[in-house]
Amino acid sequence: MAYKKPVLVLVGALLLVAVGWWGWNRFRPYAFHGTVLQSTEPAPDFTLMSADGPVSLRDFRGKVVMLYFGYTFCPDVCPTTLFEVQRAMELLGDDADQVQFIMVSVDPARDTPERLKEYVQYFDPRFIGVTGSEDEIAEVATQYGIYYQKHEGTVATGYLVDHTASITVVDKKGYVKLIFPYGTPAEDMAADLKYLISH
Amino acid sequence: MKRFIRLLALMSAVVVALAACQKAAGPQIQVEDAWGRPSPKVATAGAFYMTLRNTGNEDDALIGASSDACGTVELHESFKTAEGAMGMRPVEGGKIVIPAGQTVELKMGGLHIMCIDKKVDFTPGTKVKLVLHFEKSGDMPIEVEIRQPK
Repeated sequence: MAYKKPVLVLVGALLLVAVGWWGWNRFRPYAFHGTVLQSTEPAPDFTLMSADGPVSLRDFRGKVVMLYFGYTFCPDVCPTTLFEVQRAMELLGDDADQVQFIMVSVDPARDTPERLKEYVQYFDPRFIGVTGSEDEIAEVATQYGIYYQKHEGTVATGYLVDHTASITVVDKKGYVKLIFPYGTPAEDMAADLKYLISH
Repeated sequence: MKRFIRLLALMSAVVVALAACQKAAGPQIQVEDAWGRPSPKVATAGAFYMTLRNTGNEDDALIGASSDACGTVELHESFKTAEGAMGMRPVEGGKIVIPAGQTVELKMGGLHIMCIDKKVDFTPGTKVKLVLHFEKSGDMPIEVEIRQPK
């Protein structure tokens, strides 16, 4: 029976490792990929116009909201970001229904609600595009720390708009929780969103 | 046999001379992996991306492009502004220099060929004919496939 002792020790050690691994994964704090913001105030509410009527942030309490400021003329940076969000939504599967992506136009003069709708829904039919008056957009952008500035383009492009290209994530309780900087991969977004959906 | 060796030597010399000529011929531009991003109809502008390789011994520059699929084609670049925002502007000096022996990548979030006033649907699988204009190498017709980013 002497051979049983080392076997028992081995089994015990393996068990300890397994339980430790499970516990570490279960209880360690989640490390977000995005930049974490601990805001003490709820995210500023706003009401802007979509092709299907007015849209307010508070309409989506209980969902995780992704706010993105961009414009439809933008051929490179905006579609790159929207494509990554589209991929993140795919990665989330059924959980994606708990996420609302909203694109706010920083080019209200050229982006009509209809135009925005067609633009964002090309990427995902669940996406919403909103716009408003120059003043309304400026107010919302300021509240969210979004910089945007028109500058002269060419004859063909007309003016172009520099804009903060990060995504602001509002949690289910309505607090700004995360910033996804430009270039955040879909996998990272999906992991963070999944955590926010289940917590 | 002697004659054969002489012929062989002559042929080798010709080959070497030709190779030297080719090398001395200035810039040699190769276009690789040209693709365009799918975009909704309502987006007036589209973007093309590709890798430009100059295997020659002289610099060249992409100075423009044209396509029946676009009202206007311009060379643009996306960049990070001093404020930390993303901006887009026509390329400096109106051209993209491809130094001898080097490779320049036109890629998302950087240099790109912008197709303004799209005349065709940029749906995946569409092939767009584009003529690249180089400062020294002249015109180079290429075909660009519209596909999802990799």
